[in-house]
Amino acid sequence: MSALTQRFPVAEPIAVGQLVDQLRVEPPGGRLTVGDPRVIEFVTKFARKLLAPALARRFPELASLGFFLRKGELAKALSTLETSGDSLRFPRGLVFHVPPANVDTIFVYSWALSALAGNHNVVRVSSRSAGAAEAVLDALNAALSDVDPATAAAITATQRMVTYDRSDEISGALSLAADLRVIWGGDTSVAALRKYALAPHARDLTFPDRSSFAIASVRGWQAASAAERRTAAEGFYNDSYWFDQAACSSPRAVFWVGDAEGAMASGREFRELLAAVIEAKQHVTEPAMAVQKRVSAYGAAADGLVSSIAFDGNGLATLELTDATVMPREWLGAGTFANARVDSLAELVPTVLRKDQTVSQFGFAREELTEFVTALAGRGVDRVVPFGSALTFAGVWDGYDLLAEFSRLVTVQA
Amino acid sequence: MSVFTRSQPEREALLLPELAELTAHHRAGSTGYDRILSSLGLAPDARFDTIADLPWLPVRMFKTHDLKSVPDDEVFKTLTSSGTTGAGASRIYLDKAAAAAQTRQLGTTLQEVLGGERLPMLMVDTIGIIKNRRSFSARGAGVLGMANFGRKHTYVLDENDQPDVEAVKKFLAEYGDKPFLIFGFTFMVWLYLYEVARDNGLDLSNGILIHSGGWKKLIDRAVDNTEFRRRFKEDTGLTRIHNYYGMIEQIGTVFLEGPSGNSLYCPDFADVVIRNPETWAEQPVGEPGVIEVVSTLPRSYPGHVLLTEDLGVCNGIDDGDWPGKHFSVLGRLPKAEARGCSDTFSGAAA
Repeated sequence: MSALTQRFPVAEPIAVGQLVDQLRVEPPGGRLTVGDPRVIEFVTKFARKLLAPALARRFPELASLGFFLRKGELAKALSTLETSGDSLRFPRGLVFHVPPANVDTIFVYSWALSALAGNHNVVRVSSRSAGAAEAVLDALNAALSDVDPATAAAITATQRMVTYDRSDEISGALSLAADLRVIWGGDTSVAALRKYALAPHARDLTFPDRSSFAIASVRGWQAASAAERRTAAEGFYNDSYWFDQAACSSPRAVFWVGDAEGAMASGREFRELLAAVIEAKQHVTEPAMAVQKRVSAYGAAADGLVSSIAFDGNGLATLELTDATVMPREWLGAGTFANARVDSLAELVPTVLRKDQTVSQFGFAREELTEFVTALAGRGVDRVVPFGSALTFAGVWDGYDLLAEFSRLVTVQA
Repeated sequence: MSVFTRSQPEREALLLPELAELTAHHRAGSTGYDRILSSLGLAPDARFDTIADLPWLPVRMFKTHDLKSVPDDEVFKTLTSSGTTGAGASRIYLDKAAAAAQTRQLGTTLQEVLGGERLPMLMVDTIGIIKNRRSFSARGAGVLGMANFGRKHTYVLDENDQPDVEAVKKFLAEYGDKPFLIFGFTFMVWLYLYEVARDNGLDLSNGILIHSGGWKKLIDRAVDNTEFRRRFKEDTGLTRIHNYYGMIEQIGTVFLEGPSGNSLYCPDFADVVIRNPETWAEQPVGEPGVIEVVSTLPRSYPGHVLLTEDLGVCNGIDDGDWPGKHFSVLGRLPKAEARGCSDTFSGAAA
């Protein structure tokens, strides 16, 4: 019989059956509600720890997380759940989260929103997690002693983060016990977890493999000031280099929209600015990553997808697409961007797939973007954000309003 | 006839035109290769001033792409090797001429230390490694390839991977008073031959050891090349030891350790370039970098200039046991890891 390691709250290893039994008990102080004040108190204390300067310096991604979980932000998010008329909103019950191993903070967003919706949660934290994930678990455990004992007791009774080695028994039992199962980490993880049956009323919320691209308006670029252009390059750097371009909201291709001559000049200036940012940030490309990029870039060329390849040092590789409608969507290595020009956003519409998640944009007016998304008519793309915001997590992700997904409605008619 | 004769200036002068011609030949024969070079801005008639100027392909490309410069119906043999990175198998296509050339050149290279005749041979492996032809490992391919250079093969390990001391004793009683060939992978030679010979007081002084493979598995035992040679010499009398470096993607070309040890030498039809992993420029002598292997042998696939995933250092030029550059392999480049949302590189979530 395999046991689970309890990472939050830290406790003795536990058998899965026992864990499920404990999570089914009504917590001291009464059932959690949507927007439960005890959860809000705990999450806010936890957020404050993440925003502590020392921690934020070491793990900048934890500062974004802390920012997302501040009291004001939570209130704003929760206000979207207010119901009127015949509906009342309730938690779903027990939520089983399976986050990816190699993005350290996803599990916290997923958990926090579910807890705010009043759910009992069990989060599987990867045994391979390190660095930021460890810091998060420390902060969570420390936050327990910052809140009043009644709150701590309610949190301890309902919220668990555990680690276990691959085990059919455990994954099976947690799946069967769950009212909602949340699977991050791509197609492979989704397929692997779907082997385990859910209760008939339960369902999955899945985050499969996605890919993203960027669009830049030639006219918008020409109209921008030197400072705005620099800021755009910095934002694009953050979007792309933070997770080695492997986050699925990181852009993998850049489309310049406008006339050929302008696109050429703007593209060249943008790449120079980006190369300068890479230099200024003292970004290090490991030799193995540099080789990986060559393998991918040469491979795309051998396949006929690419007409020219330009390297600005090891940090930046630009692949000119032979045909703008055939873009590589797979990861090609940190800082490897397919590049192409189109006359208008309308030209991109037929190339978009359901798999496309985030469009990072620079220099477009809201109407142009709305027109583009309307023309896409749901065939793909979940969010359009300005350069610099691709990795910013939001309560609406992959097209799901997460708080709404984590709760359910009861209607009453007298 | 020795293939360790060319000084570096001679080598550069003789190989460069041949390699440039090969580059053009592969461009004409392989669309994929031509597209790569074109996308890098190299015109079909591009000129190269030095061997280091020649465009290189990452060796891993042979795992991700089918690159060959002969028509399908001329492919005589397809070599596959999974290597150690787990990224699939390399596929190397040989036509008849290429297959013959690689065997011949490997032979002439090894003759430098083995002499002209086939010697009785001690294989530091189990015969099982070559028995199952269907699931052939890279190790099995190495053992089988090398077996051609000896006769009267005796395997040091039995079918259960246990050292067969009696077999080794019998071999030595019969052939040990004249030169004999020993072959195996470095860590196996250490674990199964050195320790057995030392513990049983076996005399290997007439042996010529050819071994290959990294030192990684021996690091825990604090055994490097120098220690390896010293202990073999002191405990078994074996002094003629030649490590070699080679890969399936450049089959037939082996870089052989000279008699005094610790440096690998290029046969006359090959060269190495140690590259700075930041600038990709050639490193000066003594500065470590990524090893590029160059050979005029690959004519049926564009493998004449390959960037390996190994780190090495050039120890000197025209100042060692044999002419040309001599170098050491320092280990593998650590694998590239990306932090993405997904557990695999094929895609990512978040």
